[in-house]
Amino acid sequence: MALNFFDQFMSPTYLGIPLIALALSLPWVLFPTPSSRWLNNRLLTLQGWFINRFTQQMLLPLNLGGHKWAVLLTSMMIFLVTLKMLGLLPYTFTPTTQLSLNMGFAVPLWLATVVIGLRNQPTVALGHLLPEGTPVVLIPFLIIVETFSLLIRPLALGVRLTANLTAGHLLIQLIATAAFVLLPMMPTVAILTATVLFLLTLLEVAVAMIQAYVFVLLLTLYLQENT
Amino acid sequence: MPTSPVKTRIPLTSFGHLITEVKRQLLGIEAPATVELTGWRKHFNTYTLQGRRNCVLVTYGALVLTAAAYMMIRRNKEEKTGAKPASP
Repeated sequence: MALNFFDQFMSPTYLGIPLIALALSLPWVLFPTPSSRWLNNRLLTLQGWFINRFTQQMLLPLNLGGHKWAVLLTSMMIFLVTLKMLGLLPYTFTPTTQLSLNMGFAVPLWLATVVIGLRNQPTVALGHLLPEGTPVVLIPFLIIVETFSLLIRPLALGVRLTANLTAGHLLIQLIATAAFVLLPMMPTVAILTATVLFLLTLLEVAVAMIQAYVFVLLLTLYLQENT
Repeated sequence: MPTSPVKTRIPLTSFGHLITEVKRQLLGIEAPATVELTGWRKHFNTYTLQGRRNCVLVTYGALVLTAAAYMMIRRNKEEKTGAKPASP
């Protein structure tokens, strides 16, 4: 059966069993559980240091009400980074290329920030929909525009993650195929293409980490507005 | 509510806050003091939080009323169109 470039994004199944559940649970297996010892080994210490540092950085702009989200945001960041990095390995499936998964992350979390804002401080939450100092003539127009921008946030969150990863994986596959096909015909061009492929892979590693960070950072910003 | 000791960043997702800061810093336009707002402008203005909230609520209310009026007019039209063939 001839494969096309989009087969890598199909959700894998084996004998009717969806393997995406296995792909989603893999990051849990890779990270060691902290022990009850006072001094852990190097790996656990490094893991704990990174998680503490990241949480501290994430929670800087948030007040105490937003600090309850520390565990959720940090675990989301580690989960997304691990999924993306594993997806960059050859012949692996990246769950975060599925729009359904990313929307499943984005919509509930965004909705939670909106509901928290409307429940705890409805005046501030509604006041955000009209910029300060707006001319009277523009008030209805700007309220509608700000409402749309509020409603488009979960879509932007999910689609940003999906599109970045899908485009990156597709580019890697295209350039790799080009290098492979050119090797017997024009070895010099194939070597140049392989160099481009190497640089692109480095870029995709950076994009994988940055996109996960942007996802979590935007959630903290939405939370900051509503707490 | 106690806040973080670090100065809060202006959220990049809120265009309005950026406009307010630009107007204040580059153009020197300051928001009028609350005591200067009298009459209906005391409750409906774009400078105080309550004023902005009331403007938003009035806009949403107007949209809902417009949609409700449109639905009622359309239903009346459909009823009239449906009743027409029955009359001699």
